[in-house]
Amino acid sequence: MSTTAEVHSREVTGAMGSGLRGATKVRHGRERLFQWLFLAPAVLYMLLFFGYPVVKNITMSFQDYTSSTFFSGLAPWVGFSNYSAVVGMPVFSKALINTALFTIGSIAGQFVIGLALAVFFRNRFRLSGILRSLLLLPWLLPLIVSSAIWKWILDTDSGALNQFLRAAGLIHTNVPWLTSTSVALLAVIAVNIWIGIPFNVTILYGGLQDIPEDLYEAGSLDGATGWKAFRSITWPLLRPVVSVVLVLGVVYTVKVLDIILGLTNGGPANATQTIATQSYLLSFGQFEFGQGAALGNVLIVISLIFAIFYLRATRRAVDE
Amino acid sequence: MTTAAVRRVTTPGKSSRKQRRSWLNTVLGVIFLAVMLFPVYWMVNASLQPGGQALDSGWFPLHPDFTGYRTAISEQGAHLLTSLIIAVGSVIFSVIIAAPAAYALAQFSIRGTNLVLFGILISQMIPGIVVANALYSAYNDLGLLNSYGGLILADSTAGIPFAILIMRAYMTTIPKPIIEAARVDGAGHFRAFFYVVIPVSRNALITAALFTFLFTWSDFLFALTLTTGQDVQPVTLGIFQYIGSHVQDWSAVMATAVIASLPALILLVLAQKFIAAGATGGAVK
Amino acid sequence: MKTVLGRSLKASALGAALLVTLPLALTGCGSKSTPAAASSGGVAAPATVHVLDYYNEGNDSKVIGAALTACGKANNLTVVRDAIPGSGLIQKVLQESSSKTLPDVLMLDNPDMQQIAASGALTPLSDYGISTADYAPGILQAGTYKDKIYGLAPTVNSIALFYNKDVLTKAGITPPTTWAELQADAKKLTVGTQYGLALDANATYEGSWTFLPFMWSNGGSEKDINTPQVAEALQFWVGLMKDGSLSKGALNWTQADAENQFAAGKAAMMVNGPWQFPTLNAVKGLNYGVVPIPVNRTGQVAQAPLGGEVWTVPNTGNTENEKNGAKIVACLNSDANQIAMGVARGTVPSKTTLAAAFLKQAPTMAAFTKTVATARARTAILGVAWPKTATAIYTAVQSALTGQSSPADALKSAASTVG
Repeated sequence: MSTTAEVHSREVTGAMGSGLRGATKVRHGRERLFQWLFLAPAVLYMLLFFGYPVVKNITMSFQDYTSSTFFSGLAPWVGFSNYSAVVGMPVFSKALINTALFTIGSIAGQFVIGLALAVFFRNRFRLSGILRSLLLLPWLLPLIVSSAIWKWILDTDSGALNQFLRAAGLIHTNVPWLTSTSVALLAVIAVNIWIGIPFNVTILYGGLQDIPEDLYEAGSLDGATGWKAFRSITWPLLRPVVSVVLVLGVVYTVKVLDIILGLTNGGPANATQTIATQSYLLSFGQFEFGQGAALGNVLIVISLIFAIFYLRATRRAVDE
Repeated sequence: MTTAAVRRVTTPGKSSRKQRRSWLNTVLGVIFLAVMLFPVYWMVNASLQPGGQALDSGWFPLHPDFTGYRTAISEQGAHLLTSLIIAVGSVIFSVIIAAPAAYALAQFSIRGTNLVLFGILISQMIPGIVVANALYSAYNDLGLLNSYGGLILADSTAGIPFAILIMRAYMTTIPKPIIEAARVDGAGHFRAFFYVVIPVSRNALITAALFTFLFTWSDFLFALTLTTGQDVQPVTLGIFQYIGSHVQDWSAVMATAVIASLPALILLVLAQKFIAAGATGGAVK
Repeated sequence: MKTVLGRSLKASALGAALLVTLPLALTGCGSKSTPAAASSGGVAAPATVHVLDYYNEGNDSKVIGAALTACGKANNLTVVRDAIPGSGLIQKVLQESSSKTLPDVLMLDNPDMQQIAASGALTPLSDYGISTADYAPGILQAGTYKDKIYGLAPTVNSIALFYNKDVLTKAGITPPTTWAELQADAKKLTVGTQYGLALDANATYEGSWTFLPFMWSNGGSEKDINTPQVAEALQFWVGLMKDGSLSKGALNWTQADAENQFAAGKAAMMVNGPWQFPTLNAVKGLNYGVVPIPVNRTGQVAQAPLGGEVWTVPNTGNTENEKNGAKIVACLNSDANQIAMGVARGTVPSKTTLAAAFLKQAPTMAAFTKTVATARARTAILGVAWPKTATAIYTAVQSALTGQSSPADALKSAASTVG
């Protein structure tokens, strides 16, 4: 019943457990079977529902896949020409930069605010439960409704935000939130942060709740309170949850489509065009499905690279 | 001598300061939430405006117009029920499939763990439309179109991978002694899972269930792709009855969105109450 | 006290009643006997016809639904209808193409028709002997692929210039007919929170659609947008925004947003279509008029783009179903239906010969009826290559309006993406 975090580290408990794992080969085999039974339904589901789409998406990117293909089934093989076509488009570099900015900005904002709020809600104050639930309201609105409302709020002439800022004396001329090439991306990032905060708060709060209260009490006896407590107690124990939130956050943000399409459709003048939106417009605006799939795969590769680097980095940190 | 006993001996001054702190936090919380939920307020405002669009409406609905609500209530009731059935069904299915898998990936040292995790992560990177297109042909051949079961299965593509990843993250923090203790007492894998792991992972389960519900509730893509006609229409699709290519009836759209949020919000409030503190803390002692 | 008159009145009333009911009774007898005829191989039980369209909302849904049901009844067919949101139609069509589950009657937005026809998913309407006489030429061009007609639109629409009668009269202005007049008028009418002009210049095909009349009437062509004529048109728009007559918000407005501005008195004029009539008519105190979109120089012909949806018969491989589908398409395009649908939906009948009869019932559609007669199909010249050019057009427009490049440069770089 010691109160330091090390007890919870897997190294110690692993050592304890290894002694119990000295089983005969037969028992080992049955163990394996049971363990796989836990995993089997999920693996089966994933293969059924994601296996074919993944393969289809990859093959489609190497074919000349147009609207005709849907009917005739004919899709001549074109090798890498779809990839060279999409990477060669003038809008590609813009979309790439926008995707990077959009993702970094969104994650930074969502995570920092989400973590701050999760820690804030930990102080059980009156109404904290209700407030935490209300925080999830943005996720209950259909995206078509959210984007319409934000479009109205951010409208240059009559939007609520500009009206408020002018009434408060903070600005003198209306800010062209969604119609200026310099501001539009910021506005879209802000809306995406707004959407992402409930996600981060809820998951991080759940993770914080799993950290035993007495660790903090013991820590405070040793003089570790506030920021020190956060660094030495909260952060290490929260790390697995933080990892998942960040990796999933990046994977989901990089894919974000509906909110950008709803707010600006990639405009003005490609200021909010990301790789995801460009992929969608190539497929469903111009019926160039092969090129759309190629661009979509570029996105997946970007996500993968990030995931690999991040997981490797965190694994090293845990091992230290 | 527990720290709890130490805590009880406080000076009166300290407790009132704590109370004031508590109220200050509440006020801060309410202010922040008011800012965060302003768009939701704007939606309610728009739903009560004549004409329904809030582009040029006043800040307050001074002359509330309930036409939108009348339309929404009379036409969307069945769709709300459909959404609820599919969402709850998806939550149950996803948790049943994902929880054991998450536990296995967290605590068992199976050789394929990293591969499976990576596969799950990659699945989250696939654009939804790719999955929808593939599912359409499959469902068409299997006769699963326009069915509750079909939609539950399809919507779980959002819930299951996410639930596995989130629950696994929580479950890696379960101290091994707890599980080993249960196994030593003679419990098999399944008993250890049901009687020890599940109760201890309550927060994880509820969080995963919560988001699976939210993903499914707001799904539009599968609702559009995997249904034809009016038989099985979730409310996300029902809302489009008011959004035509040329003319949009925003007051009905906003009213439907408001009404649709209510049952879901009640479920969320109830679920959040269950996210308790120190779920693992008690087990250690 | 029964009088003689009363008795004779009664008798004549009875006689009249008999005269009326007898034929009905006879037809009743007649219809009762047709099932007997049916069982001997006459009229069969109604076959089912599947229809896919995107008239999912309000008035359109009711009008089209009623027309489909009536056409079904008239041809002894049961219509099963799938009305879905507009944004999901093409997706659905492609999915159904690949799983070979296309409906028997398919509605398509006219610029998309050539793509779908090119894939082989549609059957030519000439196979069913459907007449295309008296249709406005633009409509036939939209529905033609490789010299065969695959789709016919019963009613169509276009865009024109709406203006607020009261605002213009107060400022002593008559509706503009040239660009110079439009620019001056818009500038004069930009007062307070009111802009002179509102239009849709956003980054979607709607934005390109709004720009087309300006570039077409000036002699520009979608075949090559990197020409001085198109640049002149774009320069005109840039000028309007520089003057402050056109709000920067136009860069993100849909046509519906532009209408909101106009209806709220935030814009004195707007470029929009007749589908806005019901909404505008519901606004109290708004007196509006419609004129064709101004041209650059007097003498140029106003050319507006053709809007509206065509009805097609997909290639399902089932000849019986295809024939039934064709019957529905033919019925929807009948003269009576064209006028009825036009009146009910605020669109214009496709047959130019029906214009006179139509205007008697819907006199407010005069400006649009005139516009439609000379309207141009977007896919007339480029066919399946239209989407790339449409994207290039709105990209160039946005680039120039945001000041990123001059109109000529914007068009040059946009044209290079079409290749």
